[in-house]
Amino acid sequence: MKRGRLFVILALVLLGVVVLFLLPGGESAEFDVVEEFATHPLIHLPSIGPVDLSVNKTVVYLWITFGVVCVLAFFINRGVKPVPGRFQFAMETLYELARDSIVGSVMKSGRETWFPYIAGVFFFVLISNLVGLVPLPFAEHWSLGFYAATANLYVTLSLALCTFVFTHYAGVRNNGPVAYVRNWAPASAPPVLRQLIWVIHAVSEVFRVVSLSVRLFANMLAGHAILAVFFGMALLFQNYAAAALLQGGSVLIYLFELFVAFIQAFIFAILSGVYIGGALDQEH
Amino acid sequence: MDADSARLLAAGISMGVGSIGPALGLGMLISKALESIARQPEVSGDIRVNMFIGIGVTEAVALYAFVVALILIFVA
Repeated sequence: MKRGRLFVILALVLLGVVVLFLLPGGESAEFDVVEEFATHPLIHLPSIGPVDLSVNKTVVYLWITFGVVCVLAFFINRGVKPVPGRFQFAMETLYELARDSIVGSVMKSGRETWFPYIAGVFFFVLISNLVGLVPLPFAEHWSLGFYAATANLYVTLSLALCTFVFTHYAGVRNNGPVAYVRNWAPASAPPVLRQLIWVIHAVSEVFRVVSLSVRLFANMLAGHAILAVFFGMALLFQNYAAAALLQGGSVLIYLFELFVAFIQAFIFAILSGVYIGGALDQEH
Repeated sequence: MDADSARLLAAGISMGVGSIGPALGLGMLISKALESIARQPEVSGDIRVNMFIGIGVTEAVALYAFVVALILIFVA
């Protein structure tokens, strides 16, 4: 009985696949992944000198992220109950993750001072990555599309530059400017080697900004490009079987992107914590 | 071979060859981390955080290859 039903279901699925394969496909459509990431101005505004004030997709996504973070903070702040509900429990878990797993595990001193910045970066990047996975009508001709503010190099570079500035501010304030710069190389090393290590460290300080920004940018860009390719290949193949398969695959990619969105926010925040913590407590 | 096909070929090769190192590195990193978590489950939290830092740093190498491929295709 059970076996017979399984056989019937299997036969139906096979028949469905064959019918899908035989169905004539629709019109062939041109499809360009690059268009998904082009930032055409949505609202034209005059430019002041070299600064173009036009509102494009990235700006709108930044506003949305800002709004969502503010609304979340407002609602969680208004009614903190002793017995947490579902929403409050989720927010408490994220807060504890930021406090214990990120700031608590990588910084020795200055946890209270730098927790707001690192948690702020964590929540901003996380919400921005997650907003990027909601289809919103800001693609060309106001059609639905995926885009994330963090899939733009300028946004991630600004965030990384904030971390860069705060790292050196923290180091200079905690150790004094001369001692901070001198401590970039270990004092116990022999003279020539010491200068070499100092130069290598100075170069690495610059490349931290590059790696921090490019990591987040390239991860989000690659994820969205793969999603776009999976959606767009259905148009190219003109075949319902391939379309069904690719749509199923895009669901799996989407779930993986949710994971990546979270992991990238975590890594951005934790590396900011490592850099700031390293400047605060220098190894002598 | 004209310039366009050389460019596209270079983009594909840069992505493919550039992924070998990070893939090996990530495999080693995660296997070692899982091994140490299995040995000492009581410090699994610390190991996991450090594992994610390592993943972030290792994975960046593959992403540089990705960015180079993008530059080769769309900018150069």
